[in-house]
Amino acid sequence: MSSAAISAGGNAHSKGKKAHADSHAAPPKIAAAEPPKELVREPLVLNGRSLAWITDAIAGICEKPMPKWWWPAFIISFGGMGMMFSLVAYLISTGVGVWGLNQPADWAWDITNFVFWIGIGHAGTLISAVLFLLRQKWRTSINRAAEAMTLFAVACAGIFPVVHTGRVWFALMPGYLIPFPNANYIWPQFRSPLLWDVFAVSTYGTVSLLFWYVGLIPDLATLRDRATNKIRGALYGLFSLGWSNSNRAWCNYEKAYLILAGLSTPLVLSVHSIVSFDFAVSQVPGWHTTIFPPYFVAGAIFSGFGMVLTLLIPMRSLFHLEDIITTRHVELMCKVILATGSMVGYAYGMEFFIAWYGGSPYELYAFKNRAFGPYWWAYWSMITCNVISPHLFWFKWCRKTMWFVWLVSIVVNIGMWFERFVIIVTSLHRDYLPSSWGYFTPTWVDVFTFVGSFGLFMTLFLLFIRFLPAIAISEVKAVTPQADPHHPLGGAKEHH
Amino acid sequence: MSAPVPQPIGLLAQYETAADILHAAVAVRDAGYKKWDVFTPFPIHGMDDAMGLKKSKVGYFTFCGGLTGFSFGMWMIWFMNKADYPLVVGGKPLFTPLFAFPVSYELTILLSAFGTIGGMFLLNGLPRLYNPLFNVKRFKKASDDKFFVFIEMADPKFSTEKTRELLQHAGASSVEVVED
Amino acid sequence: MNVFRPFLRLAALMAFGAALVFGPAAVAADHAEPAAAAAPAAPADAHAAPAAAAHGHEAAATAEPTILQRFAYSYLTAFMFCLSIAMAGLIFVILHHLFDAGWSVSVLRIAEHLACLTRPLFLALIPLLLLQGEIWRWLHVNPATDHALDVKKVLFNRITFNVVLAFVFGLWAWMATTFRKYSLAQDKDGSAIWTRKSRVLAAWGIYAFAFSLTLAVIMLMMSLQWQFFSTIYGVYYFAGSFWVTLATIYGLIRWLSTREMKPVIFPRQIHDIGVLFFAFTVFYAYIGFSQYFLIWNAAIPEETFWYVDRERGSWWAVGLTLLFGHFFLPFLVLLRIDTKMSLAVMAPMILWAWVMHYLDMTFNIMPVLYPKGLTITFFDPLCWFGLVALLASFFWRDYLKFPKWPQKHPRLKEAVTHHEVTGAGYAVEDT
Repeated sequence: MSSAAISAGGNAHSKGKKAHADSHAAPPKIAAAEPPKELVREPLVLNGRSLAWITDAIAGICEKPMPKWWWPAFIISFGGMGMMFSLVAYLISTGVGVWGLNQPADWAWDITNFVFWIGIGHAGTLISAVLFLLRQKWRTSINRAAEAMTLFAVACAGIFPVVHTGRVWFALMPGYLIPFPNANYIWPQFRSPLLWDVFAVSTYGTVSLLFWYVGLIPDLATLRDRATNKIRGALYGLFSLGWSNSNRAWCNYEKAYLILAGLSTPLVLSVHSIVSFDFAVSQVPGWHTTIFPPYFVAGAIFSGFGMVLTLLIPMRSLFHLEDIITTRHVELMCKVILATGSMVGYAYGMEFFIAWYGGSPYELYAFKNRAFGPYWWAYWSMITCNVISPHLFWFKWCRKTMWFVWLVSIVVNIGMWFERFVIIVTSLHRDYLPSSWGYFTPTWVDVFTFVGSFGLFMTLFLLFIRFLPAIAISEVKAVTPQADPHHPLGGAKEHH
Repeated sequence: MSAPVPQPIGLLAQYETAADILHAAVAVRDAGYKKWDVFTPFPIHGMDDAMGLKKSKVGYFTFCGGLTGFSFGMWMIWFMNKADYPLVVGGKPLFTPLFAFPVSYELTILLSAFGTIGGMFLLNGLPRLYNPLFNVKRFKKASDDKFFVFIEMADPKFSTEKTRELLQHAGASSVEVVED
Repeated sequence: MNVFRPFLRLAALMAFGAALVFGPAAVAADHAEPAAAAAPAAPADAHAAPAAAAHGHEAAATAEPTILQRFAYSYLTAFMFCLSIAMAGLIFVILHHLFDAGWSVSVLRIAEHLACLTRPLFLALIPLLLLQGEIWRWLHVNPATDHALDVKKVLFNRITFNVVLAFVFGLWAWMATTFRKYSLAQDKDGSAIWTRKSRVLAAWGIYAFAFSLTLAVIMLMMSLQWQFFSTIYGVYYFAGSFWVTLATIYGLIRWLSTREMKPVIFPRQIHDIGVLFFAFTVFYAYIGFSQYFLIWNAAIPEETFWYVDRERGSWWAVGLTLLFGHFFLPFLVLLRIDTKMSLAVMAPMILWAWVMHYLDMTFNIMPVLYPKGLTITFFDPLCWFGLVALLASFFWRDYLKFPKWPQKHPRLKEAVTHHEVTGAGYAVEDT
């Protein structure tokens, strides 16, 4: 194809560029009608809100005093967090025996909770990075909160594998997990997937934090410029690093943002893949299966979107953000849940099929035991929540009714917790020697540590809403018609 | 030491819409100015071309970071598990790129991200502690819903009269002198 | 431009004719110097024999393949290559409707034609089924003597095998035809009802697609070594297929945008297909790595034998070529945003993608017939060229016969107006 034809779709404003001068190369315009009425796309920001309205609506949340419900919510969450740390202290001072796990099920709620939380984090990165690369503009209304959720979920996730080692001080000592020269002359053992986890999760946490922070810089500058008292001005000024909204800076900023999105996408895939390696590189029936990496990633996105909806549906109505987080946004997220739920369903099906196809009696037994053994109730809870419930979203009413979506999102979260529980506990509790079979039951410490981790998560999230813009201000503005210099609302004199 | 007397450093023009600022940028670029900038609350599509900016160089920092991360990861694992303290575990080789891959991969991403953000900060001169434009009251709107062009006096083409005329002709709603 | 069609038909006929005539001659020529070929492979062979015997295909390690077998395997390889393109065309259409995408309207008609290639492939399935006894060795194994076959004899018997394959090909041909029927109907009246019908079909169609393609790939490819099992195998085939098809679509739109499709192909479409091609370069590597890595780490003989077979003789080099050629080279070449717009880079890349995907199919299929190492016979290029020419003639007929893009698609306006490459950092350099 000629160079002229390629450039023909380019920007009419860059008169200075040679290729653009070849206006004769513009392809003939073809007649394309407006879509039929029922297929017209809904706008991403409703009611034609102005740029200033967007700034006020979002920045206003963290400038005004918090609404009445905030304090009770915070105190309860803070109490939950306190409970979790107390129980962690109890565990460390007493020993892992305070949990219910024991041979043969020597991994149970600890690793279930770890995988559960790390999975939830994935939606944030998916929304901020993958949807960015796919140029899904609707992401701008939800990416900030979803990324924050990622960070807080990773924080919750990180606690469980560290404390489940029992003697936590060894896990944290240089040389065991962190490669650092030490007096004992030992190095980490890089053939172990558990060590890959350390690198994956810490990289994920770090890169997500940086990505989130880079996205925050222009919005922190907005808060700085709006600050009415010195302390706020100084703090937001400090963290916005002197950002001036210069286009020369935007140019590098956008490139950096694109690259970070490009890096986060393989990162998010790799993190849950590596988590799945914890199981799949072993020879344990029910764990060793080649579809685990993509299946875990799909499941992580599935649960993550569930959690995003659980948080954002109350948030949009409590802060009156229905014009920014619209029904269309919620519907789209429901569709992502439907898609990833179906992928998870495909993986469940393939596991069963190949267990039968492969002819290994142990593998087949592991799956029969999952569905019909002593943990049948967990398995069928998982199937109901993860495979059946998302299919409700085929119906428009189910996607458009907020309380219903909210309920399903919680069901999805429950289902994904059960999935990890089923994978871990059913595969371990009956191994090759029937005399060693056992049955895992959690203790009260197991239960309340997990419940408390929600306290930590919510505490961090409530603080985030309190002090930082929960929606990306500059990004939402950029998808409005006012931001488009070729749109009448953007000031275009004649439509071209 | 007495406070220095404020000196004029350039002209700041305000525009009301995305289309106006884009046209103004084209006008300033075509007039041949070099030391100038545009300030918008969000990146405007087509502005880089309108200003005549070159492609961002952030990608090179990323690439260097990534290359360092991958090679360092591979070297580290080889050194720790094969060279310095060889120990057979699980019947696996002392070193193969295969099991070293996940960790090296994560380090690639980590150092690429460091490179990207470090590169972006470096190219943008961030963090920047002082900016004379922040003394202009109306400039606070650059992060809300207004658009600005700033032309430095240091630009060889700068002339208070002509530059002001150019900016106003391009549709500015106000033009003022910035002092420092 | 009708000149292409008879030419392609003729080429298809000539290729098959030549395969039948020259193939045996070429094989005979191979046999004339067996010592040279066999000598280097001898040590590996000695090592291979017990492993192969343990898995119930002694025949593979000892007997020389017959001419008919050589033809049948080459035909299967070419068939799986072509199936990739048709099936990825079908999933492209399905995804377009499910995503309610705008930009891809420009290339939708091309994808619909590619999907409809499942119809000539249904015909091309017939020789494959006639040759089934030469290809799938489990057909000659008594399940009572073979545990791996015995457990799945419900599915793996001659009748079910043929019925399932006929059914899935019929399903695909029907789905592809129906999608195009709806799309052509919309060309006339622009009614939203066709969009809705397409969405309904795409909605259940994606499940039908996923399960039927997985089953077909297991039956056609994985069951060549029926003792082997891998839950990711269907995804693996899909990833490679979508990859090579994106390259094909890229080539087609670059070429056709100099002709009839000029009004609807903009840098945005070219760029986006290029970016998807890049993304699937990574996705394929991810899936391939996952399979190999998990099997390597667990080291269970029921699975590892499959890769052991593929590390013997020159298959080892083929595997490495795939690692570097199917992933690293395209990855590094396509890493820069602007290369996706450059024809000088992309044209060789498309040809390379075709070669690599064919090599990938060879790597999956051929070690069963040629355990000692990569063996290329005359049948390979001839079968490949014959099938590709057959499909190309059908594609070209459809392309000429129907409107070149969905004329009244509700998202056509988006495709032809929002055509600049937008979004952060997407400023595309002029080429």
